[in-house]
Parts: sequence; structure tokens; C-alpha cells
Amino acid sequence: MNGLHVDSVRKQFGNRQILNDVFISCIPGEIVGLLGRNGSGKSTLLKIIFGAVQAQNKFVRVDGVVINSLSKANGLIQYLPNDGFLPLHLSIKDIISCFCSTESCRSVLQNQFVNPFLKHQPGQLSGGERRAIEILIMLNSGAKYLLFDEPFNELSPLYVEVIKTMIRLHSSKKGIIVTDHNYEHVLDLSSSIILLDHGNTKPIKNCHDLVALGYLPEGANSEMLKHHTPLL
Amino acid sequence: MRAIKTLFFFYRKIIIPALTLSFLLPLFAAGLISFLAGVGVSFVLLLPLFHYLGYEIRYPNEYYFYYNLGFSRFALWGLTVGIGLLVGTVMLLI
Repeated sequence: MNGLHVDSVRKQFGNRQILNDVFISCIPGEIVGLLGRNGSGKSTLLKIIFGAVQAQNKFVRVDGVVINSLSKANGLIQYLPNDGFLPLHLSIKDIISCFCSTESCRSVLQNQFVNPFLKHQPGQLSGGERRAIEILIMLNSGAKYLLFDEPFNELSPLYVEVIKTMIRLHSSKKGIIVTDHNYEHVLDLSSSIILLDHGNTKPIKNCHDLVALGYLPEGANSEMLKHHTPLL
Repeated sequence: MRAIKTLFFFYRKIIIPALTLSFLLPLFAAGLISFLAGVGVSFVLLLPLFHYLGYEIRYPNEYYFYYNLGFSRFALWGLTVGIGLLVGTVMLLI
């Protein structure tokens, strides 16, 4: 069975139920946008799928293989955390050599956004440059499914467009789940949208659903909604 | 091969300061314990300490780099303790 299939995810922090039998799936060629209010459990859900956070219950299957640990997810799923994760003591070239296969390594090393920084360490780059490199190495890794947690965090408009272009370019062969508080970028990028609301996932058919479900304030951003209404 | 390279990068940050301090500390205990035994005991304690300070306290987000390459936190801690004990034992046996 092809695709990333996540089912029955339950997570509780103390008495608070964050995720309640959550279901989400993604196939190669699809970009799933995951929206939700602050504290709705978007990042937690991605971390649970990846295996970095334990859940009370979860079922994750990738192309027919049940994934129940980080080591099993290796090479199949990669997770981009919302804050930078590149080791500060390594050069960009070393980092690329860890992530990318020999073939893709060559193209990443020659990329215009990477090439000037090969001998630099991540701490010597700006937030945008670092984020672009993080996303680029994930897109060029062998992983078939990518979980992007706030990829547009702290990015200038120019870098946002660069990153969106890079994601679109690689999305034909990969399944990507992306979440970001900048919902306009998520709407623009995604082929389907899921709203995480009160611990449950709700498929969004058009942007007005986001208002109806209380994710967006009524009447706000009407121009944007008009622009993005034919979402699916 | 990639796994070995990844582990080399992970330990490069903590193994050099741990080793350096392990060779310095026994100098202060000269006469009480043999130098190499002192190095061994120091290393067994200092490697996990530098792991804790370098990754758990200072840069916990860097764990995600190693998670993405297939190494869990549990596996990395197990290796740290294992390497510490191995080097410490060798030092004690010399």
C-alpha cells in the first residue's frame, strides 16, 4: 500500500487531550497543509509521526511498512523542526555529505544558495540562509516523506518564494506534510488542507471552512480567501 | 559508512574536550592513583557529562539532525556510555 498512513494517534499532556484518534495520510506527489491554532498539537503530531515523541497510541505505516521507531523511519521519513537543527560545529559541506546521496549531493553542492557557504558553519549564516539549506538537504535526501514544521519561520519574502519553488520542484516524487502559522503560504503550496481542531483532523474543502471552523476570524482576509477559495 | 561518519560528527564535539580534561585531571591526583587509571576514570565520567552539557542543555535541537539520520537519543546515550566504559576499561588495563 503506497503512501504515508497515520491513524489512531492519541496524545495527552497531563489531563489535557491534545490529539484524539487523529488520522492523516499523504502520498508521493501530494503536499498536505496542516493548519491549527497555537497549541492545537500540529508540531506534536509531526513529531509523533516521525517518532521523536511518544504517543499514548499511534499507527504509522509507510508504503506498507509499519513504523514504530526512529530507526525504522530512517530513510523513509524526515522531520524539519520549527527551529534550526543543523549542528553548529559542522561545515555545510559535512552536513550535506551526511544527508544526501552521492548523486543528489553533487546538485546540492552546486546550488546557488548553498555553494557560497560550503565551508561555513550554520552559525555563520543568516536564519533565512540556514533555513533554505535545511529544506534543500531534506528535499535532496532519499526520504520519500517529509514533515515540515514551520518552514517559513523567520524568512524574508524572497526566501519564502525560493523555498516554495524548491518544495514544488521536488514534490512530484515526495509526499510532504507542511504546517506553518503563515497560513497563506500553506494554502498557496498545498494540494489538500487539514485543520487540526480540538484534537481531531478535519479536511478543509474551501477556505471559508477555515472561518466556519474558527481558525480564521470572520470577515478577515476576505481578499485572500477570495483568491484561495478554489483550494481543492 | 554514512552512519560511522554521522557518529564521528556527533562525538567530535564532545570527545576532544572530554579527552583533554581526562588527561589533565589525573595530574592533580598524582600519587593517589596511576595516571592512566585516572585518565580512564575521568573519561568514563566526563564523556557523558559533555554529552549532557553539549546536547541536552546547550543545543537540544541538534538531536533532530541525528534523528533524521536514524539515531535515537537512547541509542546516542547508549553509545556515549559504551564508548566511555570501553576507553576507561582499556586505560585501567594498560
